[in-house]
Amino acid sequence: MALMLRRGKKPSPEVSLWQDAWRRLRRNRLAVLGGLVIIALGLAAAFADAIAPYHYTKANFLHAYEFPNRDFPLGTDPLGRDMLSRLIYGARVSMLVGFVAQLMVVSIGVPIGALAGYYGGTVDLLIMRGVDVMYAFPRLLFVILIMAMLGAGLLNIFIAIGLTGWVNIARLTRAQILALKAQEFSEGARAVGASGPRVLCRHLLPNALSPIIVAVTFGIPEAIFTEAALSFIGVGINPPTASWGQMVGEYQQYILSYWYLCVFPSAAIAVTMLSFTFVGDGVRDALDPKLRD
Amino acid sequence: MMFYLIRRILWLIPTLLAMALVTFLVMHATPGSPLEPEGGNNPLSPAEQNNLAAKYGLDRPLWAQFGVFLVNAMQGDFGHSYVYKTRTVAEILGDAFPVSLRLGAMALVIATCLGVGLGVLAAVHQNSFWDYLSVTTAMVAVSIPNFVMAVFLILLFSFLIPVLPTGGWGGPRDWVLPTVTLALAPMAIIARYTRASMLEVIHADYIRTARAKGLTDTAVISKHVLKNAFIPVLTLLGPLFAAVGTGSFFVESIFRVPGMGRFFVISMTGRDYPMIMAVVLCYGVFLAVMNLLVDLLYGVLDPRIRVGAKG
Amino acid sequence: MLDHAQQRLLETRLASIGVGRRDFLRLLAGMTTAGSMFLTTAVPTVHAAPAPGDKLAKVQVFRRGDFNDEPASFDINKDLYCGCEFTVFAGLMRFTPDFVAVPWMAEHVESNADGSVWTFRLRKEAKWSNGEALTAHDFAWSWKRQLDPATAAPYSAFLYDLKNAEAFNKGQITARDAVGVKALDDRTLQATLEGPRSYFPVLVAYYAALPAHRPSVEKYGDKWTEATNIVSNGPWVLEGWGHNQQFTLKKNPHYFDRDHITLERVVVPILPRAAGLLPYENNEVDYALVPPGDLRRLQADANVSQQVSRYFYPGTFYLVPQVVAPPFDHLKVRRAVSHAIDRRIIAERVSQGFGIPAHGMIPPGLPGHFDDEALQQLQRFDPKLALESLKGTPYEGGKHWPKIAISMRDEPYAAKPMAEALQAMLQDVLHMPTELEVLEPRVFRERLWKQDLQLIWIRWFMDYPDPHNEYFDTFYGKRTTGKRQAWSNEVFDDLITKARGELDPQTRMALYRQAEEVLQAHVGYVPVVWTVRYVAFKPWVKGLPRNKAGHIVPDGNIYRGMLEHIYIVEH
Repeated sequence: MALMLRRGKKPSPEVSLWQDAWRRLRRNRLAVLGGLVIIALGLAAAFADAIAPYHYTKANFLHAYEFPNRDFPLGTDPLGRDMLSRLIYGARVSMLVGFVAQLMVVSIGVPIGALAGYYGGTVDLLIMRGVDVMYAFPRLLFVILIMAMLGAGLLNIFIAIGLTGWVNIARLTRAQILALKAQEFSEGARAVGASGPRVLCRHLLPNALSPIIVAVTFGIPEAIFTEAALSFIGVGINPPTASWGQMVGEYQQYILSYWYLCVFPSAAIAVTMLSFTFVGDGVRDALDPKLRD
Repeated sequence: MMFYLIRRILWLIPTLLAMALVTFLVMHATPGSPLEPEGGNNPLSPAEQNNLAAKYGLDRPLWAQFGVFLVNAMQGDFGHSYVYKTRTVAEILGDAFPVSLRLGAMALVIATCLGVGLGVLAAVHQNSFWDYLSVTTAMVAVSIPNFVMAVFLILLFSFLIPVLPTGGWGGPRDWVLPTVTLALAPMAIIARYTRASMLEVIHADYIRTARAKGLTDTAVISKHVLKNAFIPVLTLLGPLFAAVGTGSFFVESIFRVPGMGRFFVISMTGRDYPMIMAVVLCYGVFLAVMNLLVDLLYGVLDPRIRVGAKG
Repeated sequence: MLDHAQQRLLETRLASIGVGRRDFLRLLAGMTTAGSMFLTTAVPTVHAAPAPGDKLAKVQVFRRGDFNDEPASFDINKDLYCGCEFTVFAGLMRFTPDFVAVPWMAEHVESNADGSVWTFRLRKEAKWSNGEALTAHDFAWSWKRQLDPATAAPYSAFLYDLKNAEAFNKGQITARDAVGVKALDDRTLQATLEGPRSYFPVLVAYYAALPAHRPSVEKYGDKWTEATNIVSNGPWVLEGWGHNQQFTLKKNPHYFDRDHITLERVVVPILPRAAGLLPYENNEVDYALVPPGDLRRLQADANVSQQVSRYFYPGTFYLVPQVVAPPFDHLKVRRAVSHAIDRRIIAERVSQGFGIPAHGMIPPGLPGHFDDEALQQLQRFDPKLALESLKGTPYEGGKHWPKIAISMRDEPYAAKPMAEALQAMLQDVLHMPTELEVLEPRVFRERLWKQDLQLIWIRWFMDYPDPHNEYFDTFYGKRTTGKRQAWSNEVFDDLITKARGELDPQTRMALYRQAEEVLQAHVGYVPVVWTVRYVAFKPWVKGLPRNKAGHIVPDGNIYRGMLEHIYIVEH
């Protein structure tokens, strides 16, 4: 399956799927752009202390609610804190929310899906029914339910998103494991000549992991969105921690009067979302065997 | 096929049961008791709390409470709301659910039509101006949270171009803004996937065969491409139902639509146990039914995917 | 002409705005005719007749936009926090725009010599909306219903001043007749209290004393306040209730003063807070409360700023350092907190004018309000003094602070930004790092009663304009229910108990003043701001009620009656 449907040339045997994928990814301009933005955000998050003009808790009460000006390029918030600084520090929290939540999703979803796929039978049946139950819960509602139980806070957001997001990954993992199992018995041993782990790692696994990687990539901005939604409802991160989602949720009420309070964090989230989407698309195209050249 | 249908419907029952159980447990594990009054300067006296607990049935052990709930629910009695004293939960949701259903349905119809249309346009005119325009629109629509988008739309269509009211649910004019706000993100996602899958199909071998056979472009597109391209879109519809269902909370609040979405948060903060259970089950049934419909549609659209043969 | 009760009330009111006893006596002498002790006036008729030049609109319908949530019911007697329109019912007394309690359904109010037995005589024109006469039995039954433990009313403690009420509510006695409220006949209600309580008429004017219609309750149970079933006795009747969309009120044809009311109907859509001020700005409603974020924008617009009015929503935001746990078990630390806060900045900058600096518990304009130099000095903003105050404590120099959490409940009107500002100030001045914990209302209150919170950011909205409400209901150390904080003090408790029964207004206020000083000396709490709100009325809404100072007084927690004054002009 992985090696069918080529158009034209034969794959050069020295180039593994990974290397080929990387090459293709590099050529995808949008994906590269997205990747650069994400790296920039990551750096901003890591070196926030050095980059940000002010500390994110530094309150300048006499300059509260100021529109963007020379001292405060992106304006100030209700306590006179610099929006630019808060956005930079917010990158840290938002990146954390995105990555750690997805980490939890993967660490729960992949093992469960793998178990279901590998053992099959009753185990599979039980697990898939559990997945059905989780699927029937509208995700945001369940997140709110869990947040109510645990209370507000960053760690609780990770847990809530992790506990509700593993379903998709589990399903994907299971599907991939099932496909792998089928291949093992049918063509893997004979078709290529080399068999066993080598085939798996160099040719089959990249394809297997592809949908999972893509799902994780799309899940990151989704987690950031969920955090914004929670803050809008009022069960988000506690102040004074700055996070983009928290800013969007809390400052939505000021859109008409102090638009910059809500628009800049929204823009930050939007840019991040787009970057991850481009990268995700790029990764999927890069790992898609049908597009190999 | 019939067999499959029956099997799926039967599986609904343990699924809903499990959902109810999970919700019940999480609900009772949440700090903050419904016996604590909504506001005020004192907690209720112990005598009052006992009376209230008896009235709500909270003085029984947990397993008994769950049992009572199930027995009543099967008869359609979801109890009285702890928050809204004059109505039963069934009455409240009976009013609210159809509203959310209509809002969600309208939003999805618009999202699908516009999304597929945009996607087809973009795919057929790949790399042209239309392609970039639709892709950009889609990107923008999906990267702004809908509670932010809502305000922009109100500003645009209620104030700048005063044609629409800022909310309510009286007549068709009131439906426009909430529906559009809710439809934007799904529309964008559908457009993207439609475009991608159409491109895949367009370049696929069997389309080349059709072209070689001499079919015109339009015939090719309408006969083969669309039908097969729609299948991945169909995959999306299931999760999109869910997304629209939950996203409706913000839209319903901002546009004051008297739907079910609002109740979820209100019932959570109000520790309105009967309402929480009913809302969750409502969503559960709805999503399960929608997923089933989607799976059936699969079979209709693609003979290769015959339902019942799945592992 | 004025009876003893009215006299005391009037004196209290005048005292709080600076009229001393000698002037008061002169006033009184001027008003007396014979030595009669009975009241003759009922509601002072201040209904605004349309001003000359005002052309009344044909359709007198008012659309109000200040209801954010669907009412839980209209059964105020059972559930004070049902979130409905209170003036669907009418109590024995009510408040004027100056927050003075005056008779309403009653026409006579008198007490015995020491103020422990109060008798109310109902006016004979008082009727229910179905034409039935309103009787004293209705009130007696309603109050007992509220106290009945089976009802589980959230504010049943409100009536604990009635004899045996607390015991009845706690299930210690079961005989309803033992409760000290009784209808002597159809038109006379007698309340026997646990002791002298000079503020009882003020208490009776608050919504927690509103009646319910017994036949309807017995017939329909919990559904009796649905629009099709409800029978009420106030100026307005619930005409229709489209759940979660809107409810409409119409003038009660059996209300005794209906001829002075111009509005015919009131339409109240349910506008969730998320919708903001947009419906008002789009002319979909005639009246709205201004959210903090929108005030400056409205004030900047020449036209719209005319529509905005400022008013006091009597309430106080304050910090409570819990005295039973470190670090606030040290008086010096609490004092340091008091000096570390710049109230002016919080009021003017952070809350955007939705508060004024507070130095005491009782807001301006209300009996018992003090804000003099001495009190201000006691709590002045002085960063150096704040840090110095820490000398001798383990946290000297602002070091070695333990983990500190400020807890608050999630609420609007800039509560969260104010808490964050306090965090910043404590950090700046005292190097005290704090975490802000925003809790759900129920969770917050549960922990509050357990004294489980370390530093509490909390607000108190006045229920009725009497210092007893602020001091007893919040800080009394021996409260049997609803104790908000662990702080208590014998001297304070004695003062409050003495003031409760004191009949002479001046002495009484002096006692409360002393109590406040004790409270401040021990820093049992740190007042921060008194709440201020803003409303917007469309220009075609006229006849707004005003107080003696000329300020507009819209419906709030104490005064509620603007619907009876308003009229719509042609537009």
